[in-house]
Amino acid sequence: MSSEPIERRVSYIGDRLRGAKCTICGREYFNVRHYCGVCGRSSIGKMACLDLFYEKGILEVCTAIREPTNRFRGLNSYIYGIVSFHDGDIKVPGRLTDLILDEEDIEPSALEGKEVVPRIRRRYAVERSEIVPTISLAFTLADEYYPYQRFEPKEPREKAEKPGIVGYGVYTSRFRIKEEGLERTVPFIDEDAITASVEAGKLALIHAGVDPHLVKKVYVGSESNPYAVKPIASKVAQVLELGVKLPGELQEVDAIDTQFACKAATSMFKDAAALAYYPFVETPYVMVIGADNAQAAPRNTAGGELDFFVGYGASAFIFGLYDVIAEVEAWYSCTSDTPDFWRRDTQEYPRHGGRFTGAPAYFKHVEKAAKGLMDKFGYKPSDFDYFVLHQPNPTFPVKAARSLGFKEEQYSLGLKVSKFGNTYSSSSPLGLAAVLDKAKPHQRILLVSYGSGAGSDAYVFITTPLIETKRERQKFTVEWQAENKFLKYVDYATYRRFKAGLELSS
Amino acid sequence: MSKYPAIIGYGRTKFGELYERSPEELIEEAGLKALDLAGVERKDLEYCFLSDYFLQLTNKIGLEEGFMSELLELHVPMEKCRSFSSALFNAYTAIMAGRCKLALVGGVEKLTDRWDKIRDDLMILEDPWSYYAGGSPEANHELMMRLYVKEYGLSQEEADELLEALAMIAVKNHHWATLNKEAHFHNKPITISEVLKARKKERKLLGLYDFAPISDGASVVILASPEVASKLCEDPVYVVGFGSSTDFISYPCRQGRAGFLATRLAAEVAFDMAKMEPENIGVAELYDQSTLLELIALEDLGFYGKGEGWAKVKESLESGNVYQLEGARELYVNTSGGRKADGNPLGASGGAMVIEVAKQLREEAEARQVSFTSKARAGLVVEHEGFGTKTYVHILSREVP
Repeated sequence: MSSEPIERRVSYIGDRLRGAKCTICGREYFNVRHYCGVCGRSSIGKMACLDLFYEKGILEVCTAIREPTNRFRGLNSYIYGIVSFHDGDIKVPGRLTDLILDEEDIEPSALEGKEVVPRIRRRYAVERSEIVPTISLAFTLADEYYPYQRFEPKEPREKAEKPGIVGYGVYTSRFRIKEEGLERTVPFIDEDAITASVEAGKLALIHAGVDPHLVKKVYVGSESNPYAVKPIASKVAQVLELGVKLPGELQEVDAIDTQFACKAATSMFKDAAALAYYPFVETPYVMVIGADNAQAAPRNTAGGELDFFVGYGASAFIFGLYDVIAEVEAWYSCTSDTPDFWRRDTQEYPRHGGRFTGAPAYFKHVEKAAKGLMDKFGYKPSDFDYFVLHQPNPTFPVKAARSLGFKEEQYSLGLKVSKFGNTYSSSSPLGLAAVLDKAKPHQRILLVSYGSGAGSDAYVFITTPLIETKRERQKFTVEWQAENKFLKYVDYATYRRFKAGLELSS
Repeated sequence: MSKYPAIIGYGRTKFGELYERSPEELIEEAGLKALDLAGVERKDLEYCFLSDYFLQLTNKIGLEEGFMSELLELHVPMEKCRSFSSALFNAYTAIMAGRCKLALVGGVEKLTDRWDKIRDDLMILEDPWSYYAGGSPEANHELMMRLYVKEYGLSQEEADELLEALAMIAVKNHHWATLNKEAHFHNKPITISEVLKARKKERKLLGLYDFAPISDGASVVILASPEVASKLCEDPVYVVGFGSSTDFISYPCRQGRAGFLATRLAAEVAFDMAKMEPENIGVAELYDQSTLLELIALEDLGFYGKGEGWAKVKESLESGNVYQLEGARELYVNTSGGRKADGNPLGASGGAMVIEVAKQLREEAEARQVSFTSKARAGLVVEHEGFGTKTYVHILSREVP
């Protein structure tokens, strides 16, 4: 069920791939059913729902589509076939995504028998108003860029002293553009900020091992919501089944979008931690996602200077009071109304205020937030093992870190912009994830974000021994995504086409 | 006297891109030809069964019966079905139930008026799941062909020969269409190398010449009760066997996908009812939405063994335009040109197939006329709705079992 008319029409496909199983005879069906053809009326009320969202299937047979229907025309060509689950008991039609068929010279029969993972992609329509951001019957190969990971939710066990990060996930696509040494993430043409949010959230749930029903609030920070009016967070909550399911397609969860350029997500870390700590209303876990398909005008037009740095991706963090891998020790924020970056309603691309960038914007806020936090809580740079900053380009964070008295070994691990570009709301969170991927227990991390407009949030995290215990559930690390033999580099024209998405390119 | 209703008249339009003509004009032309041939007046009709697959979508005509009432100046009961075979069956049932003695069965379709959106429409109606997964109207045919190769363990060379056999089916059907003035591709013979070249150029397993076109057209038959048929017609063609069956909407979700279960089940019922075997069939119109589906139908109907059809088709078509069956028997298939070359105006397609078989049986097929042996004297029509989602099998005969 969802909010756009066309999706309601096809709502029986739903967001998650599902099947049904007769608990009497064991027969399985694609899609939800309330009756088993073999067992007849005795099966009424005895059909179990099979959720295939976290499973992997087999690409049984496939062929190349080179003349798609109008709906998929923007994809040009792709692999379409039949995916089977549970030894062929459930079969579904499916499309392989994340492939540029013409360039990658793939013979369909060579893909048959390979394992595939269901992916969250947009279903498309010809008209822009018909865009439906939800799961399509899209899959990718399980042993390539996006690895298959089991999901094993566990009961909350260890209560921490302070609330903190319980688990996290970073999602960027396999596509990159490489220009003058700077690699940037590029969405595939069927991806956007919504699909990245869901993918990152899914990875965070897998890493945290948290029952999604215990996540009672989700924040999604983004400046590139494909909708001018309509939240991303409601879709994330629905697809990830956050909160307890209520009758009538409702979920017991609060879902909200936030917006403040690149600090839309980090701003909410403190709210999430505080919410988990609030003793009078139980909120075991809170999810914060920063997601952007950062938009930029074409080069040589107003705002086109951003086109050299924008990236694509999402980072999701689950905060809570149980099984914490990094406690939140302190925070500090500062804000001023600075016109360094904006997009007025009806303008297609954001603009960038030349003389307000740099000194009066990034450096002023980042340095003040870092200093303010250290002064207020009595830290000095040498107290931190790692320093993660917002990274709009490779030079700003290094300059700011040095002027604050930090050394390269403190800030280099979390500095990922040269591999991913500026992923906006996901930028400093992605750096934080890169540090958490490697950090040992009892290490202290300083995180400082920056959002144009303008403001900065500073946080101190201290890792716990659980960070090592949970690491085996994090295959899709930042390093994996940065150094991966399945990365696919695209040219500038393809990058623009992919960023615009199917509805604009077709 | 027979106990079976019979076809006593028929008429059709040319199939093709008929952009200057409205659906009403098309059905009127076909209807008048049929009434004239049957020698009956419009006021003699007691029932109308119409078929179109999606006139609502293509031409925004939803109350077809109202248009027919106006055209015929009649106020008799009328019903609308999705395929011509379905309309024919309903007319048959109405006559057998004593509801009427003379019925018009008519089909019309105007696909080309929506050429820019038609592939999406066809696919979403065929199966929304396949459509939303990215399937195109051709995709499931290609999957079926790959599953066929897997199911029967064909080697690479054998698979290549299968593809060649399919090309020969296209060439054969285009050949027959050169002899059919009403066919969409009349006077457009093709060669095997053209079929293969088109596949190669499009980098597809099955190419342009493997698929039926989208067409406009109309077809009508007049169905009469046994008494009326024997009174009005010297040479009625009886509907002696009928079967229909259904399968799951989504082809990828079915079991046994190297054929159509619905065809096998429908054929069993039809042969039983007609008290016939495949060897009694001398001419057949098989729904060849793709060349592959002609091969698949030959196997599903029992003319060839499972997984053996491709070799027999190739062997047969190397030496002529007729299939050689076991026991030195022959089977003529799609002498109209088939949907491949006669055209495929969905709601009217079944009518063209029924008409072709009736013409052959009555030896009115002129240049296309085939000869019948003493044993194989009946004709058979297979029509699908969707991709094997529904199959109708009709067996027609001048003789009554």
